[in-house]
Amino acid sequence: MLSRVMGQADLAIWPQLALVIFFAVFVAVVFRVFQRSRVEEFKRAAMLPLDEEGSENV
Amino acid sequence: MSQAAQTVERFRYDDAIVRKFALATLLWGVVGMLVGVIIAAQLAFHELNLGQYLTFGRLRPLHTNAVIFAFAGNAIFCGMYYSSQRVLKTRMWSDALSKIHFWGWQLIIVSAAITLPMGITQGKEYAELEWPIDVAIAVVWVLFIVNYMMTVFKRRERHIYVAVWFYMASLITVAVLHVVNSMSIPLSLTKSYSLYAGVQDALVQWWYGHNAVAFVLTTPFLGMMYYFLPKAAQRPVYSYRLSIIHFWSLVFLYIWAGPHHLHYTALPDWAATLGAAFSIMLLAPSWGGMINGLLTLRGAWHRVSEDIVLKFFVVGLTFYGMSTFEGPMLSIKSVNALSHYTDWTIGHVHSGALGWNGFISFGLLYYLVPRLWKTPMFSQKLANAHFWIGTLGIVLYVVSMWTAGITQGLMWRAFDESGRLQYPDFVETVVQILPFYHIRLIGGLLYVAGVLMCGYNVLRTISAAPKVLEDEEAVGTPLDLTPLQESWHRRLESLPGRFALLTLVAVVVASLFELIPTFLIRSNVPTIAAVKPYTSLELEGRDIYIREGCYNCHSQMIRPLRAEVARYGDFSKAGESVYDHPFQWGSKRTGPDLARQAGKYPDLWHVRHLEDPRSIVPASIMPKYDWLLKQDLDLSRTRDKVATMMTLGVPYTVEQLDQAEALARQQAAKIGQGLAEQGRPGMENKEIVALVAYLQRLGADLKSQSPTGPVAGR
Repeated sequence: MLSRVMGQADLAIWPQLALVIFFAVFVAVVFRVFQRSRVEEFKRAAMLPLDEEGSENV
Repeated sequence: MSQAAQTVERFRYDDAIVRKFALATLLWGVVGMLVGVIIAAQLAFHELNLGQYLTFGRLRPLHTNAVIFAFAGNAIFCGMYYSSQRVLKTRMWSDALSKIHFWGWQLIIVSAAITLPMGITQGKEYAELEWPIDVAIAVVWVLFIVNYMMTVFKRRERHIYVAVWFYMASLITVAVLHVVNSMSIPLSLTKSYSLYAGVQDALVQWWYGHNAVAFVLTTPFLGMMYYFLPKAAQRPVYSYRLSIIHFWSLVFLYIWAGPHHLHYTALPDWAATLGAAFSIMLLAPSWGGMINGLLTLRGAWHRVSEDIVLKFFVVGLTFYGMSTFEGPMLSIKSVNALSHYTDWTIGHVHSGALGWNGFISFGLLYYLVPRLWKTPMFSQKLANAHFWIGTLGIVLYVVSMWTAGITQGLMWRAFDESGRLQYPDFVETVVQILPFYHIRLIGGLLYVAGVLMCGYNVLRTISAAPKVLEDEEAVGTPLDLTPLQESWHRRLESLPGRFALLTLVAVVVASLFELIPTFLIRSNVPTIAAVKPYTSLELEGRDIYIREGCYNCHSQMIRPLRAEVARYGDFSKAGESVYDHPFQWGSKRTGPDLARQAGKYPDLWHVRHLEDPRSIVPASIMPKYDWLLKQDLDLSRTRDKVATMMTLGVPYTVEQLDQAEALARQQAAKIGQGLAEQGRPGMENKEIVALVAYLQRLGADLKSQSPTGPVAGR
């Protein structure tokens, strides 16, 4: 039943819609990442693996 | 962090679990790659197919499962447990769940190693394990997710480091992939049928298959790269920014790429094009990630020549770059037309598997073993030798497979001046590439020799280690739970629950957008009136075909290319495989396509060919299947099989169901009689008749009818 109803819908547009949505999200992510205010935070985050205590035992 | 300095907590990381996973990585690495060498040898020397349980068709799934889920699987768990605890500054949430995860996973691997040679398989690549094992995988995986997410929740470091993002995305996506692709209706404890059929099964399978490459072999390894490479180089990652973009673009793009495995098949064109477009886009984030890794070494390149860990990482990353360049190229339709079904694909996969996954894993082991066992490596020289012999092995492997693939691909499509196929006998093209199979075997042997050196080195190191190994101690301040206020994305990054949920949404939405139209748009799978369900005997034969893993070497999908149609017959239509649970299109032609096998040769030809392929095709490299002529055909479950097919929507009549066994016997007797008249008596009760019946059915429905266009309605 459901598949018959859905079969009538114009589903061919889905993948195209998805492509647009995903591209928009990607652009949004890039935009946020390159905000100037985040430089300090990224600097600190990048140091996370390196500033552990007690792990330099070799 | 500074204002809470008065509440410093002391705690210990769980290193025992990391040690367990490290040893399991090594053990399964040796086992899985040895099986790889064995199947490479079987292709070079067919005599090495030693009887029913050790044929190429049964061992190849064992090899792929062992190296992907046992070797790479344990390696990523090893790296995840070690690095996650450290960047999150906390011990794993539950030691008990960690142990259940470890032992549960090893048990799953052992059961795979037992069932696959027995021929217990669902017949879908990299998802061969039967449903009880699938259920066990799902349970263990969910427990692992619970343990991991709880660990992230109770962390002491507010910012979740990018490595953990990669890990979380991998855990969630693999769960979705595994559950969706493994959907099947059980017949018994050891047999089930895929819920999907034909085109839809193919799309789900390769959506799963390619994303297994993405979320088992890529994202967790990238997570490890983002932690262990800065550690080994002793400098932060080149660009944290780039790592975030790397992450999101991989999550958004990878999930779409699967259909590039189905170019020129009966898959609707839009889906294949979509898959190709996203695959080509993948080049950008993949190379962004590789460059980010390599530039992390800026100013530390002089250390690469001295540090074995960096050596493995740098070459591993280079191979990541190579295979993520090759991948998008192979997903271009015109390139794929040449490469598909050939050893080029095998070469591509192994440059990623041996170079990227293997070398990152070994770099990881050389980094972790001295730290976990608090003892320097037994021999740096041996580790160096491993590096060089491994690299040489990869080069031999990959170059020989490229050459073999391109050679054979060109021979398949070559026409002579009169417009006829230049190499009409498939076996001619096999003979041509045999020397490359020998070179590949040497490459594989060298690589395994390196792994054995690594194993010896690690074992000697461990034997010199202190008897009591304490978990490493660390200090941290409790996490201030008020989330970061500044911006939504920053809040998101510090909230693992919401972060995981969004990743899940991205993956699920992409999957639904890609999968649902193929399931629901009727014009995507035009039914063909002439195509009827298999007879009950053919159904049994099909199960034997799947049991023996014939799909590992034979496709059932003729592409609409001139050379293919000339060689195999009319191209395959989507409507032809609507009753195939699971689909059997295959992905590799070590032997010829079988989609139009019906009536091509007499029954006796098949019997003699399966008994000893070389009695008919002297240069054939196919294993003997002589046990099919000796083993009795078991029809006790035939009726249940037909019933299961009916549950799946295959239109059998009530009579076909009730008479399933009798009808099978009738058909078997008829084939047996024909064989007896030609001098092969006593076959009517043997497995061979069922398989012959199945092979003689492939493509028969369209042959009996003049070519028809799409017929509306299902």
